[in-house]
Amino acid sequence: MKRWLGPMLVLLVCAAGAHALTLHFAPSLIMSRAMTALAERGVGLHRFTPPARVTPQSQQVVRSSPDLYYALCRYDLGNSATRVALTMAAWPDYQSLSFFDARTDNFATLRGSGKAVSVTLLPPGSPPRQGAIITPTSKGVILIRRLAPSAEDFAKAAQVGAGDQCRLVAGERVNSPPQP
Amino acid sequence: MRGALRYLGRVVAGSLLGLGSALWLAGLWPEGRSLAFGNVDVGGWRSDFAIGSKAADPYTRARVARHGLLALAKSEAVYFTRVTDDMGAPLREACTYRLSGGAMPAGWWSITLYDARSMLPANTDNALSLDASRVGTGAWEAIISPERPAGGGHWISSRKAGAFDLTLRLYMPETALLAEPNARLKPPQIERLECEQ
Repeated sequence: MKRWLGPMLVLLVCAAGAHALTLHFAPSLIMSRAMTALAERGVGLHRFTPPARVTPQSQQVVRSSPDLYYALCRYDLGNSATRVALTMAAWPDYQSLSFFDARTDNFATLRGSGKAVSVTLLPPGSPPRQGAIITPTSKGVILIRRLAPSAEDFAKAAQVGAGDQCRLVAGERVNSPPQP
Repeated sequence: MRGALRYLGRVVAGSLLGLGSALWLAGLWPEGRSLAFGNVDVGGWRSDFAIGSKAADPYTRARVARHGLLALAKSEAVYFTRVTDDMGAPLREACTYRLSGGAMPAGWWSITLYDARSMLPANTDNALSLDASRVGTGAWEAIISPERPAGGGHWISSRKAGAFDLTLRLYMPETALLAEPNARLKPPQIERLECEQ
């Protein structure tokens, strides 16, 4: 009995460790692979890429809706002296600007039905600032959704989308706040 | 030497057990497993309102990363998935269904059909969803079938879908829905009309 106690304990500890590590890293790994796949399919870094209407032939992401216009922008704020300036152009129906970090968390969403929205995305660890959002991870994805259930609506959304902006700009270097 | 090998075997076996159990419980393996997960169940439509947020448990987080990447947090949208008809049988391409419902407690809603890989089925019917802008307010119904039904009406094509599921998106959900989903959401019904043998 005692001979098996040690190996059994090792098995259980390894099983629990592998289980926890798999769950911990799975979202980041899936997101990383998705970002690579998006890059390979032409989704730009620091720019919104004009999307094709979601169809079975054009779909890039699982469970995309054929009723929505999706414009994606990948970002990389690994350099803490940069930021991303964003503008979502005005659209008369539902639209939103949503932010996803490297762990797949939707850490912010701004709704902008009927109006344009501008905001700045700051690197991790930046001090809070009015009109700015701080990303929890240096890499991630920004997504504009517009309600466009028909081909006609989608064409109009694409025209409006020409006014969307996602661009990397140099910012002041971010310093840690002074310690009390 | 034999003792060391015994330990090494347990390390490998334990790691494989942990990996496999995590992938299985998170719905990542094998492919095509049921997506009806979450702690919210309204008439067979399942959801997890923690989707998209840090509050999601590791299993939900992993499952959503695989099957619902870039899903919004509940303040903006909630997602319900249905994998069976009203009699509890799995949804499949070989059958014809009547989908019916009414007004939803949200600013906009849609119902979309996905195959077992969480992708739109590879057909060219341009009929893979139904949304609030098409059915107007009040009661509505649609046919789900692999061929366009005679007589017009709303249609969701299941051609080339195989086993499939439906996702109900509720954008700009009412606060009351998030607090009491069973009281506020009248879930769409899925009546099986006929099946090919």
